[in-house]
Amino acid sequence: MSNWTRGRRREARDNEHDNGSSGPSRWSHCRKRGVDGSLRANREGDAGPEKGGESDSRKASFTTPESTGPVSRCGRKADWGSQVENDEMRRDVHRDMQRRRILGAEVPQRERKISSGSSESCDSREGENIETDEAVLLRRQKQINYGKNTLAYDRYIKEIPKHLRQPGVHPKTPNKFRKYSRRSWDQQIKLWKVKLHAWDPPTEEGQDKVLDDIEELGIDDVMDIELDFPNLTDFQNAPASLATHSRSLEGDDDCSGTPVKIQKTEITEEPDLA
Amino acid sequence: MENSADDYRIQSLDMDTQMLLKTALKDPSSVNLEKVSDILVDQSLKDQVFSKEAGRICYTIVQAEAKQNNGNVFRRNLLTRLQQEFKSREETRARSLQEWVCLVTFICNIFDYLKVNNMPMVALVHPVYDCLMRLSQPDALMNEEEVDCLVLQLHRIGEQLEKVNGPRMDELFYLLRDGFLLQEDLTSMARLLLLEILEFRAGGWVLSSTAHKYYYSELAD
Repeated sequence: MSNWTRGRRREARDNEHDNGSSGPSRWSHCRKRGVDGSLRANREGDAGPEKGGESDSRKASFTTPESTGPVSRCGRKADWGSQVENDEMRRDVHRDMQRRRILGAEVPQRERKISSGSSESCDSREGENIETDEAVLLRRQKQINYGKNTLAYDRYIKEIPKHLRQPGVHPKTPNKFRKYSRRSWDQQIKLWKVKLHAWDPPTEEGQDKVLDDIEELGIDDVMDIELDFPNLTDFQNAPASLATHSRSLEGDDDCSGTPVKIQKTEITEEPDLA
Repeated sequence: MENSADDYRIQSLDMDTQMLLKTALKDPSSVNLEKVSDILVDQSLKDQVFSKEAGRICYTIVQAEAKQNNGNVFRRNLLTRLQQEFKSREETRARSLQEWVCLVTFICNIFDYLKVNNMPMVALVHPVYDCLMRLSQPDALMNEEEVDCLVLQLHRIGEQLEKVNGPRMDELFYLLRDGFLLQEDLTSMARLLLLEILEFRAGGWVLSSTAHKYYYSELAD
């Protein structure tokens, strides 16, 4: 690992510490909501909620950038707001599962190319390939929600209606119902979010840098692998180093989505991948 | 389908606040929703009439915000505030019976109106029961104000509550039967209210027409 990348990671971590979990991060301008959950109306640089105001109401537990308020570390969230939100999400996931069961049953076996079939309705072979574990689905849904709770996503869906989306070019939300290894899934989410950054609202600093970094890596190679639906073997072989690093950084923390700052660090890490 | 301001009974508030609420109903993202939820909670704790229907305006704001930008800032703030008040309910009751009664009325009203996918909020079920159980304790039954609040809530949301947690409702009614039978310092009004609610539940949350005549016919005079 080069000194440069070590430095970057430290920087990312420092950022996280400085801002604690209360101040704006370098990515806060991309987020639709501030730490307190309120919509960010103005888009200037670090126009997030002030540090001062927050620490008054914040409890000893920390706040993740995407959450709408203080959350306890991974445990059951005792506050009513979180309970209701979690119930809601659970119901949504169950409803999705039901829909999936119905759609899956109706679609007959179809000829499939190896790396095809991204849209929900043409996942034949449903029986073995469908993810049904509620805990997994909930975790995946949470990760998806983090990605969708961004200004970039808002701008993206407004700009490119579904029927105009081109595979490979336009980011596509990973399908939570397909069976993937944990590593593979987390990787898909990361890449999806990286792709979404292309629709980040413009700022004075930061934006160009991200795109530069991405180009530098030849990340297009990695993107192509994803295409419509990532081929499992490709994932396991190619960005092995990326995946390992992601593991060590995230640990097995089910409760946080991939913090965007760490994600950026990883992408800039291994220029020699391909 | 827009409810007029009357429906929300906001006339008891000053004009500025009324304007703020009306704006919150139409364009939630343009107002400070945390402030709005605080105003609604504060007013509900002061004004008994308001607390009986505040759930409705809260529900509308929640829907409006969800529709406008898929947000739930208002709901989250409201629930957090509510939880704080619930936590300190015993102090509130000691300080002011009126405020305590308003609090229970408000929480039950929120339970009634703020549904998630048409289901009651699970997070509120036990707190609501806790409040009603408190109202069924001997020291509360001797206050007509509290008995009145208790039976009002059971009329409004008893059936729903029983559906989501039958055993706790049974538990509650043990207390009510005991209170009715054994407690000596009950006023006759309190006894009347308790008897009516016992019959009401026994009839499947409906009063038979004869029972209705017995309890309510005098009001017609």
